[in-house]
This record gives sequence, C-alpha cells and structure tokens, in this order.
Amino acid sequence: MANTKKVKGAEALLLSLIAEGADIIFGYPGGQVIPVYDSLYDYSTRIRHILTRHEQGAVHAAQGFARATGKVGVCLATSGPGATNFITGIADAMLDSTPIVCITGQVPAAMLGSDAFQEADMVSMTTPITKWNFQVTSASEIPGAIAKAFYIARSGRPGPVVIDITKNAQIEEAEFSYEPCTYLRSYLPTPIIDHSAIDSAIDMINSAAKPLLIIGQGIKLSNAEQELILFAERGNLPIASTLMGISAVPNNHPLFIGNLGMHGNVAANRMTQDSDLIIAIGMRFSDRITGDVKSYAPNAKIIHIDIDLAELGKNLRVDLPIKADAKEAIQLLTEGIKHVERADWFTFASDMDAEEKREVTDNCGDPKGEYISMAQVVQQLAIAEESNAIIVTDVGQNQMFSALYSRFNHTRSFITSGGLGTMGYGLPAAIGAKVGVPEREVVAIMGDGGFQMNIQELGTIMQENLGLKMIVLNNSFLGMVRQWQELFFDARYSFTNLANPDFVAIAKAYNINAAQVSSPAELNKALEELVNAEGSYLLEIRVMAQENIFPMVPAGASLSKLIYK
Amino acid sequence: MNKEYILIAFTENQIGVLNRITTCYLRRKINIESLKVSESSIKGISMFVISSYTSLETITKITKHVSNFVEVLEVSYYDSNDLITQEIALYKVASDMFSGSERVDTILNQFGARMVELTPKYIVIEKTGTREEIEATRDKLDQSGNLIEFTRSGSVVLHRKSIDKILNNLIQNK
Ligand SMILES: Cc1ncc(C[n+]2csc(CCOP(=O)(O)OP(=O)(O)O)c2C)c(N)n1
Repeated sequence: MANTKKVKGAEALLLSLIAEGADIIFGYPGGQVIPVYDSLYDYSTRIRHILTRHEQGAVHAAQGFARATGKVGVCLATSGPGATNFITGIADAMLDSTPIVCITGQVPAAMLGSDAFQEADMVSMTTPITKWNFQVTSASEIPGAIAKAFYIARSGRPGPVVIDITKNAQIEEAEFSYEPCTYLRSYLPTPIIDHSAIDSAIDMINSAAKPLLIIGQGIKLSNAEQELILFAERGNLPIASTLMGISAVPNNHPLFIGNLGMHGNVAANRMTQDSDLIIAIGMRFSDRITGDVKSYAPNAKIIHIDIDLAELGKNLRVDLPIKADAKEAIQLLTEGIKHVERADWFTFASDMDAEEKREVTDNCGDPKGEYISMAQVVQQLAIAEESNAIIVTDVGQNQMFSALYSRFNHTRSFITSGGLGTMGYGLPAAIGAKVGVPEREVVAIMGDGGFQMNIQELGTIMQENLGLKMIVLNNSFLGMVRQWQELFFDARYSFTNLANPDFVAIAKAYNINAAQVSSPAELNKALEELVNAEGSYLLEIRVMAQENIFPMVPAGASLSKLIYK
Repeated sequence: MNKEYILIAFTENQIGVLNRITTCYLRRKINIESLKVSESSIKGISMFVISSYTSLETITKITKHVSNFVEVLEVSYYDSNDLITQEIALYKVASDMFSGSERVDTILNQFGARMVELTPKYIVIEKTGTREEIEATRDKLDQSGNLIEFTRSGSVVLHRKSIDKILNNLIQNK
C-alpha cells in the first residue's frame, strides 16, 4: 500500500497517470480543465504533455500512440466543445479496439444539468461508443476511476474509456493513494478456454485439404505474432490478413498470401471462396472482409476464435466458435497440429498471385508513363524504407494502395482507421505513433482531401520537432468517392474535385521541409530525400487524377465477383 | 419471426448501466415494450427485466452485447413461457359504476381486484395478473365507460428455476 497524502484532485489525476506509466498526454486546455493544466505546469518533468491544434488531433494521436506502442493512449480536453471534438476519435477507437483513456473536464458538480457554459453531457453522448465511461464529481474518486479506466481500456478486447471530471473535483483536496485495478467481479476479460473445442479445431485443421488461416488485429492485441507463425509453420497453413491485421506477419513470410476483402489480394479472396476450412483468429468478419455473407466461403467450415463473445456468430454462421484470447488458443492449437503437405493448395496461391500480377499490378498506373501512380509511390516507398517504416494512412484510395503495396518486417507497423474509416485520422495518428516510438521511422500517407481534415496538426509537428515524414498523394480529387462515381454512378463526378492550396508552401510556413514531385522519373529521388531527411519532411506527390484501386469487390457483392479493372 | 422476448440482466447497481443497456435496443431500432429495474434479492445487484418484440437472432445478439458490459454480471433472454410473469395495475374508475344494485365486493371479485382508495367521485382498484388479464380488465372497464385512468407496473418476473442460486454462483465465480 502506498502512503497517503493530501493533494488536489488535479494533482491526484497526474499522480494516477504516472502510477499507470502513462507519462505522455495529448491535450488541449480550456476553462474546465485549467486546474489540471495548472498541475501539469508543476509536473512537466514527469509528464510530457503534447499540445495539439484541435481535440480531434489529440484523440487520434492517442490512438496512434496506442497502436504503435501497445500501451494505453491518453488524451485530455476541456468540457463542452473540447469534449465533443473527441467524439469521432472515441467512435473510431471503439470500432478498432484501441485502448485509450479520454479525460474530459466538466462543469462543477453543483451546476450539472443547468446548461451551464460549456456543459455537454459527455457520459450520455459517449455511452454507445465507449467500453466504459464514468463521471467523477469528487476528488477522492479520482485514483479509483483512473485505475479502473486503465484496467478496462487495456484488458480483454481493448477499447476507449471516457472519464469526465467536474471542475470542483479537480480543485478539492483529498487523501491520495494509488492501487491499480486488477479485478472487477462483473468483468471477466480473459476467457476460460473450452478445451474440447480446441480438440475439435485441431481435428478439423489436420484433416482439411484447403485450410486458410485468417488473422486480424487480435493477433497484435494479444502479442501473439510469434506464436501465430509457429502455429502456421507447424501446420503448413497459408495466412491471409484483414486490413487491421496487416504487419502482424511479415509480407515476405512464405506462408503469407496477402490481404483479404474489398481491396484485398486475388489469392486471399479466391482462396477464401475455394477453402474447405477457414480458421479465423482475432478478426470480426466485417462487411468489408466478407462481401455478401450468403456467398462467403461457400465450401468452408468456419472456426472463429475471438476474445469477444459478441463477435462469434454476429455476422455469419460459424461452425466452431471459440471464445479465447488469441495467444492462448494458438498455443493450445499448436500442440496438436500436424504438418500436411497440401502442394496443390499452395500452387493455387501462386497461380492467383500470378493472375493478380498479370491482370492488375502490371497494368496499374499511367499507361503513357506521364503521371505518377499511387501504386508506384507506395511500392517504391516500401523499397526505400526497406520495409522497416511504420506506415500510417488516411482514408480512401491512399489507404487501400498503402495496404496493398506496403511491405512490412515488423508488427504494429500499419496504422489505419479500419472500422470507422475516419478521414483526417492519418496525420494526428502518425504524430502519436512517432511520439510513442521515436526511434522508428514513421511515414503518414494521405490523400489531399484527408490531409486537409486535420492539416492544423502541422503546428503540433513544428512545435514538438517530431521528425515525422508525410506524403500527400495529390490527385485533386476525393479519389475513392470519385472511383465509386466512375464505376457505379456513370462518372458523374458530383462534388469530388478539389481546388487545392500550395501544400509545400503551407508546410514551409510551419517550418517543415517540403518538396513537390510530379514526374515519374524524379519519384525515386524525391522519396530518397524524404527517407534521408533529418527532421520532419513533407512530400507532395502530384499523382494521376483518375487512378483506380483494384482488385475490388463491389460493396455487397460476393467475393467471387472480384473485378480487376 | 418476431415475438416477445424478455431479457433479464443482473448488474452492479451503478449509474449509467440502464443507459448503456437501452442503447443496445435503440441502435437496432427496437422498441422496448416494458422495462423494470430494481434491486435483486442480493443487495447491491440490480435486476433488469426488459420486454421487446424481436427475432431470435436479434435477441441473441443483444444478449451477447449486453453481457460484454463491464457492470453486467449475468444476462439471458427468455420467452414468456420460461417465466412466471405478473403485473400490477391500478384502475381509477368513476364511483357511478358502483351505484347500481350489485355490491362492490361482487364487482371486485369478478375482476379479481381489490379496492385501494374510495372517494365520492372515484374508486381506485388494484389488480395483479398476467399481462393478458390486466388488459382484459382494462378493456371491460373501458367499454363500461367508467375507466378514468390506468397505470401498470411492467413485468415482475420470477424464473421457474431458482435464480438466487445462479446469482450466488455467479458472484463466487466472477
Ligand atoms: C470524415 C469522413 N468524411 C467522409 C468520408 C467519405 N470518404 C471516404 S474516402 C473519401 C475520399 C478521400 O479523398 P482523399 O483524402 O483525397 O484521398 P484519396 O481517396 O484520393 O486517396 C471520402 C470523402 C470519410 N471516410 N470520412
């Protein structure tokens, strides 16, 4: 037991964060959190506070931090508009299982419900988009609430937690002692595995002719990357990844056959449709992965392993649901797994790869070679970074090209808004990732649309001297929407073209080195400069205006209806 | 096929839990027909009884969703056959109704009700029964033109098996 001492609520909050090892906060001040900021002034050597330029920037930065480090991200905002600016990031973190603790100020307890200045009912508003939320109205509640917040955010299936702290609670004094939370009787984050289900799974896998291992972010969240590879190698099982699972398995691993879903690889989607057994681990069969559920994997039995009971059977029929932590389940499965040759199955994989190369990859980009293509940028960047960088994407074509053509050697290297598809996520999430793992190269890849959704965060990059690399793929279009308009709405480009500012000048105004490139011949050199730049660097790449991302499964269509052009 | 399902949840008696549970219905656009929250037979643990018309698939998903909430100890869904369900209703009727030749007691007996308040203008009677019985009485009074006001409790339920035992096990295991 720690010694107790009397401190103000604001200080108790900081001491609690320090006790949780959370010494980095992304935040933005305001009237109802000034007491916390006042305490931060005294704690600047123990807590690093990063002032973003918008609360949305702070919450996405906390998400990027969490995704890159595996730790809980923390963000802080004032009540009312500060707090509501968090909402998009909280919803994003909920869908993408990102552990963050969002601390918001609130009007004094005595004024709750009075429509006081900057009062917004944050607890009600965030109930459906948080794993847990709580309003603190007295200083003595703070350590307990923070302990519970961290425990809930990071355990089980991680997610966002909101702690709303009334101003009086920040100012009052209370005895402080900190005890981490490790148990709540109503909450069982680590499931007890059903061993007979594991035995059935082993039998099914050992006797499958065309098994396919499908992995999601759960592998990263449960730190099961090595166990997964051992399991796949022992059983000789091909591995495909969801968008959120990317980088959990290195691209060059011989068993890795690519990405699944709407803009996934041909092999992964065709093999899904041909497989006789899908073993899905730490993923949730989202509609972007399955396409039309009724025609999904028509020949396969499905084993679904997930820590979240609500995911099992939620989106499609599952033959063997197993509620388990990914790592634990994989370790148990590995014990019984046999090596099976399956030569034809792997030949099918390489045939499909060849088909993708022939039908898609070889033809992508500008036939005349006049303009740079996004595909080319991502491919060459992967080479220039030797597959070692963390790639943070925005949303749209830039995201899907990054997913398809990036190459990774390390886990937790692909950070993207998967579930919510939040434009404007990329730049602040990259800031959070860079702050979390400063020793690694972090590159944000964004479209010209999404970049401008949180462009103000260039100010944060400047002030913190972050050394972040940024690529803006400028096609003067909201590219992904334009592609849908081209394919499904007779090329009626309704409000998708953008008149853009001089991005290089904007970066320079923020004292960030920047350059622009538009000729394919100069792309390599431009990327080398970005890679070798010492500090932060922004490269605006003028790309083909109307490039499309393929392969594609049109929304709601069967995975068998892949289109190549 | 839609039919009535009753979700019963035992939760920590904490603020915000009700809101969290009802969002599971709201986001799927399912109307809650009746809802009752009260302390269970164990101190500090609330019991939720929520009735709604929906499909088996949806109630299964809602139940799993609710089971994920941090404060939820135990949740299951039932159809009405699994439970002993009673409601209490209060009917305010015009006292004219009792001015005829029949004795008040006889009328109350017919309805299986008892009197809780008597004034010159109105009489309040109370009845306990199944939802159907409550409704039938309401219709009769309404047709007679004497019903002034009506209120009901929502379902008070008891599982045919003993829930106390489930609860005690649950607290020991969790
Ligand atoms: C906040 C938000 N608003 C709207 C959308 C819908 N949307 C998805 S992709 C896209 C276009 C993105 O354009 P841009 O950022 O230029 O990237 P590109 O697709 O050209 O790579 C839009 C508008 C979204 N995902 N998020």
